[in-house]
This record gives sequence, C-alpha cells and structure tokens, in this order.
Amino acid sequence: MTVTPLLCIAAGGLLTGLLAGRGSGGVWLAATLAGVSAALAAAVSVLAGGGDWEWRSGFPLGGESLHLRLDGISAFFLVLLCLIGVAGAVYGRGYWEEAMHPRSARAGRIWWSVLLLSLGGVLLASNGLHFLVAWELFTLSAYFLVTLDRHRTEVRAAGWLYLGASHAAVLALFAFFVQLSVRTGSWDLGPWPRRTELAPLFWLALFGFGLKAGLFPLHVWLPAAHANAPSHVSAMLSGVTLKMGIYGLVRFSGWMPVPLGTGWVVAGLGVASAVLGVAFALGQHDLKRLLAYHSVENIGIILIGLGFALVAIEQGGAAWGKLALAGGLLHVWNHGLFKALLFFAAGSVRHATGAREMSRLGGLWRGMPWTAGLFALGSAAICGLPPLNGFVSEWLVFLGLIDASLAHGSPAWAAFPAAILLGATGALALACFIKVCGVVFLGAPRSMAAAQAHECGPSMCGVMLLLGAACIAIGLAPVVFWPAVARAVGAWQPAWGGDGIPAPLVALGRAHLALAVLAVLAGWGLWRKSRGQHWVHARTWDCGYAAPTARMQYTAGSFAGILTEWFSWILRPERHGTGPANPFPAHSSHSIHTPETVLEKIVEPAGRLILRASIVVRRLQHGRVQSYILYVLVGLTVLAGWILTEGRS
Amino acid sequence: MNASLNLLIGLAMGLNLLALGSSRLPSLIRAMSLQGVVLGVMPLLLEQGADWRVGLVALATVVGKGVVIPSLLRRAMRAAHIDREMEPFIGFVPSLLLGAAGTIAAVALARALPLLPEHQGLLLVPGSIASVLTGFILLIGRAKAISQVCGYLILENGIYLFGLLLIHSTPLLVESGILLDLTVGVFVIGIIVDRIQRAFDSLDTRKLTVLRE
Repeated sequence: MTVTPLLCIAAGGLLTGLLAGRGSGGVWLAATLAGVSAALAAAVSVLAGGGDWEWRSGFPLGGESLHLRLDGISAFFLVLLCLIGVAGAVYGRGYWEEAMHPRSARAGRIWWSVLLLSLGGVLLASNGLHFLVAWELFTLSAYFLVTLDRHRTEVRAAGWLYLGASHAAVLALFAFFVQLSVRTGSWDLGPWPRRTELAPLFWLALFGFGLKAGLFPLHVWLPAAHANAPSHVSAMLSGVTLKMGIYGLVRFSGWMPVPLGTGWVVAGLGVASAVLGVAFALGQHDLKRLLAYHSVENIGIILIGLGFALVAIEQGGAAWGKLALAGGLLHVWNHGLFKALLFFAAGSVRHATGAREMSRLGGLWRGMPWTAGLFALGSAAICGLPPLNGFVSEWLVFLGLIDASLAHGSPAWAAFPAAILLGATGALALACFIKVCGVVFLGAPRSMAAAQAHECGPSMCGVMLLLGAACIAIGLAPVVFWPAVARAVGAWQPAWGGDGIPAPLVALGRAHLALAVLAVLAGWGLWRKSRGQHWVHARTWDCGYAAPTARMQYTAGSFAGILTEWFSWILRPERHGTGPANPFPAHSSHSIHTPETVLEKIVEPAGRLILRASIVVRRLQHGRVQSYILYVLVGLTVLAGWILTEGRS
Repeated sequence: MNASLNLLIGLAMGLNLLALGSSRLPSLIRAMSLQGVVLGVMPLLLEQGADWRVGLVALATVVGKGVVIPSLLRRAMRAAHIDREMEPFIGFVPSLLLGAAGTIAAVALARALPLLPEHQGLLLVPGSIASVLTGFILLIGRAKAISQVCGYLILENGIYLFGLLLIHSTPLLVESGILLDLTVGVFVIGIIVDRIQRAFDSLDTRKLTVLRE
C-alpha cells in the first residue's frame, strides 16, 4: 500500500520542520510543506477509493502498542488539516514577520509544527491512551500559539480561559476513555456495534468534544481566544481545531451505540448554536470577535446535520439522514476554508491598520482591493449564497431536513422548525456580513490608520486567493467532491455508503455553473458599458452635506441595532451615555457593548462563588503546626470511630 | 508478673499526667525520660526466658530514651536559653484535665476493643492509647519546640507500648527500625530547633506562621 510511505514522509517532514523551526524559517516552511503534502496525498488516496489503512506497532509505547488507523472519516478531516495547516504556515510567515517579532516568530514556528503533528496524531490514533496524549499535546500547543503575543494582558487572559476550558474538556474525555477501556477491556478503539452498555458514555464525549467544538452554552472560551490570537492561529483554531471536537463526535457516534434521544439533543444544541451564535455576532464591534461568533453558528449548522443523521439512525436508517450527515460533513470542509479566508483577510486588515475595532476602520477597499474582494467572497460563502461552497453544504442539510419533514413520524415535527431556523440563521448571517463589509471596507475611513492602509504582501494575498479559489471550486463542481463526502458517510454508517451522486446535487452544480457564467457575462457587459463613459469621483456618504465627516456614517452598532434589539433577551447589551436633553443640547454620547453573556452572567458568578468558598477553606491553612496536628488527630479519631462502628454493624 | 507489669504501666500513665502538668522544661524532659526507662524495662518482664535479643532491645531503649535523647534535649535547651513554657495554647490545668479524661476514655475504649484473651487483664492497650493522646495534647497545646519534641517522644512511647503486644511476632529488625526511626526523628527535630533559634531568635513555633505563602 502507498499510504504507509506517504505517512512516514509526512511525519519525517513535520519532525524536520519541528527541529528546523529554531533556525531558518525557509527550511521550516519547506519541510512543513513537504510533510503536509505527503499527508494530503495519503488522505486523498484513502478518500479516492483506497481501502482503510491500519498499522499496529510491534513495540509498546507508554504501555500500549501503537495503533494507527486512517479511514474515511479521519482522512476527510486530515485533508482539511493539511490545507489549513499549510495555508496558515505560509500566511504566518508574512503576517508574523521575523523582523517584527523575532522571538515569538520562532516559537510560533515550533508550536505550529507541534500542533500539526499532534492534530495528525489525534486523527490517526486508534488507541484511547495515545488519543488522549495527542489531544493534550494539541491543546497545549494551541495555547502557546494563542498567547504568542503574551505581553498584552487581554491575550494572557484569553489564554488562561482557553486553557481552563480545554482542560475541563480533557477531564471529561479522560473519564470517557477510561470508562470505555474499563467496559471494553482494552484501550484499543474501534467499532463496537450493539454494545448498548457503552451508550451512556456518549454524554461524556458530548461534553468534552462539544466544549472543544464550541457549541452554544460551552462556547465561553471561544470568542476571546479567537479574537486575541494572531490571525493565522485564529484561522487554524476556527478552521481546524474546532473541527476536532466535531471529529470526536462523528467518530464516536459512528463507532458506538448512542443513548436514545441523542440525535434530538445534538440537533437542538446545533439549532441553538446556529441562531444564538449569529445573534451574538451581530452585537460585536470587534472584527475578529465577530468572526469567532460565526464559528459558533457554523458549528451549529454542522451539528444540525449530525443530529438529524443520528435521529435517522434511531428511526431505522432513513435515507434523509444520509443527506443531512453529508451536508454537515461537507460544511466541515467549507467552514474551514471560508473561515480561514475570512480570518486571513481580517489579519491583513489588522496588519495594515493595527485595528480590530470596526469603529476605527472604513473605506479600506481603496487601499486593499484584494483583501476587500476576498473578504467579500468569503462573506458570501459563509452566508450560504450561491454559487459558493457554503450554499452547497447548507443545501444538503436543507434537503435532509425537508425530506425529513415530508416523511411521516416524529422527525417531521422537529425538522420543519429546524429548517426554518436554519434559513433564519442564513438571513441573519447575511445581515451581519453586510454590516462588516459595509463598515470595514466601504464608506470613508474613520481613522488615519484606515486612511493609510496598504495591501498585504504577496504570500498573504496568494494564500487568500487559493482559499477563495477552493471556495469557488466546491461551489461550482460539488460532484467532484461528493465521493470524498460519500466515503466519510460510508465509514460512519456502512449502510449509507455506495450509491451514486444524489440528483439534487448534480442539478445544483449545473445551476451554480450557469449562475457563475451569467455573473461573469453581466460583469463583462457592465465593464464594457462603463469603459467609454465619463467617470465622476466623489466622496462616499456625501448626502449633499457641505462638510461631511466620517463620523456621520452608520457605525457597526447602529447598523445592527434593530437586530440586536430582537435578541436583547439573551445578548443583554450594556448601554452607556446620555442623550440630548433640551432644545440646545450640550454634550451627549451613546455607547453599546454586548458582553459574553454566558461567561459573564453564569460562569463568572459561579467561579466567584467557588473562589469565596475556597477562601473560607483556606483559613484552615494558617501555618500553625499545632493546629495541623489537631487536624490529623481529628481525622484519625473520625477514621477510628468509623472503622469501629463499621466493624460492629 | 501481670501485676508488676500493670504497676509499671500505671507509673507510665502517671508520668503522662506529670508531663502535662509541668510548666518547667527540665521536669517535662525528666518525666519523659523516666517514662522511656520504665518502658525499656517492660520487655524483660513480658518475656519468660532471658533471650539475649530482648535484652538488647531493652538495653537500647533504656539508653536511647533514658540517657541519649534527654541529654540532647537538655543541651538544646541550654543553647537556646529557655527553661519554661511561657504561653501554652492549652493551659496546664486544662491539659491535665484533658489528659485525665483521655486516660479514662482510653480505659473505656480498651474494654470495647476485641482483644486476645491473654491481653485482657493487662493495662497495655489503655496505657498506649493514653500515651498517644498525651503526646497529641502536648503537640497541639505547646508553643515551644522542645515541648513539642517531648510530646512527639511520648507519642512514640505510646506506639512502643502498643508494639509490646506483638513482641513475639515482631522480629528484632523491626524493633531496631522503630528505634532508629525515633533517633533520626529527634536528630532532625534537634536540627530544626537549632535553625528556628537562629532564624527567629526564639523557639516559639508561632513565629513560623510568617513562613506560609
């Protein structure tokens, strides 16, 4: 088989990169590129129809023999890891320059290699112990990448929050794998069909993997970490590491029986994440924080697909489940691609202007046309607009939901509202991205930095162009990518593998092609028509005023004001300032801030309560030896009393 | 024979109360060392035939607890220029009352314990529990490090008394291990006492609280 040498080359390349990371960036990039390409080739060869690859070492590693497995599902996620991993590596060299950040650039290279290796380990590991080790390593390397810029206080705070939340997840996963190994009698992972005693463990997996994936009530760590990390790291976090949570859920819901009703819970959490994620995004004024909340939304869309697939299995394997799952899985790729593109573009804005707050940007398309165009492309894709990739995967999920609504039985009652809410999510996302594109790239610059913005370097632009091309390719030719999705679906549920491309997807591909041709023709026609005309250049937002200022433009907050009002029951926006009072108003101001409600209203009060209790308990530790001995005596007496009474009864 | 053994144990229990009630450190050390000698003699009474190993244990105990350790403590006391326990956490009268209550409780508890028939008539178990409790009261209630060393030694005496129940089944090696442990413990505490004295210019363990984080 060809997979083994390819994976050996991949591991060798990444390890070389790890060692070379201290020295020159060029060698590191070349080694990483070589390793990742080999891994990509291995994953594609498995997805393109090769059989599963499995390898078991003769020697034990940490007490267990190494067991690696590359099947449809892990290969599917490996492709995404390779694409974003290498895109981030190239982009990061331009974005986090050696000259600007001499020390952290080197650390960033090394941790990037560790992250790629450990993520690959998570995907390949087929032994619970090694899975946990790789998972922990990936958590830690991601922490160091998030805190690359650690001289800033908010970065350190975000890093701590990320580390704490991730370790809550690790704790749940530790319990999950230990229980799994106790009940199956070995650390080896693999399909356990009809082992119904394993089913309740899935709740632990849902908590652990769900926390990592950032589904709604467990997303508290996500916005801060994604907003404060360097942009290529944000792209990796949002594009790939969140998907590791999805990978875990897909993997283990496929391998072991799940408790009754899991599908409903997962789908419900998915709908909540989708709708509330976009609602929170609407209230944000920070570009990267806004993108981070959109990750919550898209994770929700993926979970809707997975949840309804689980419902379909529970209902006896109805065919609509296959479409929902395929949509969810394809959305994993799509979200990885367009979210990485958006974070790269946001990073390019940050690089050019030094600002993330939308209130300080504006009019950037003049200075950075490539970034602006590619950001608009990514926005169209994330909103699920045809003919781009976001629409393809959401369309598959919609098809599944609509088929489920048409089928008889209980799923029909849930699928219909889910489809409506999914549609509403798309509409809200569209509103949100119109806000972002309008405020950041159109209009007049709101600050000097925005006015003097310059386009990013060729490596950053090139990577964004490639990602944009990938978004267009999946949109225009979904049938080319269908076999990979079908292979992953077949690995999840063997009964669903096999039969050919669904007819609606073929039709969608043709419609997208026609739409793209029409758009190109219309654009060409407009360009021809405007060529001979006389152009008048004027300021944006002039509105007939004699002396307009940039402050007269719509701000991000005012644009989304009505929509955030709808969701104020959960967003709890904080308003400050005073309005104009009398006919000759003096000073007046208005500001609005949307907090991370779950974190600030639930998690932090609970944490403060625990802290207060700990302070009370800490008084017991005062440094007086005499009292410590008293504690020992009391403890011994209680134990002795307990043993004596036990012995008597 | 049982009567003489019980007499010795009763003496040891009385010495416990003496140790609790004495405010001067020399008398506390004297009570402790006398108790060590009394306990050291006991194995000879328990054993019928004169076994050289039991004799060795007895001799080592008497020399160690009755001579070596008390002289070490006296030297430490002279070096630190203190001979009184000034401000105990638990006063001397309350300590005495607690010790008396502990002794009564020990006798009551020993009745409740399921003992072997040959140990029924002996005071070994109540004596050992009472000594352990006395040691704890000294450890908890005294501020000076030397008083606490004495408390630790009396606690050890209680454990030794309990160990006498098992003298037939405990090999010599274990016995000497216990003794060695005790000696090392005293040495370590002696060094710590010296360090506290140098660092804080006092042996008051209350001053150690400044060391907590």
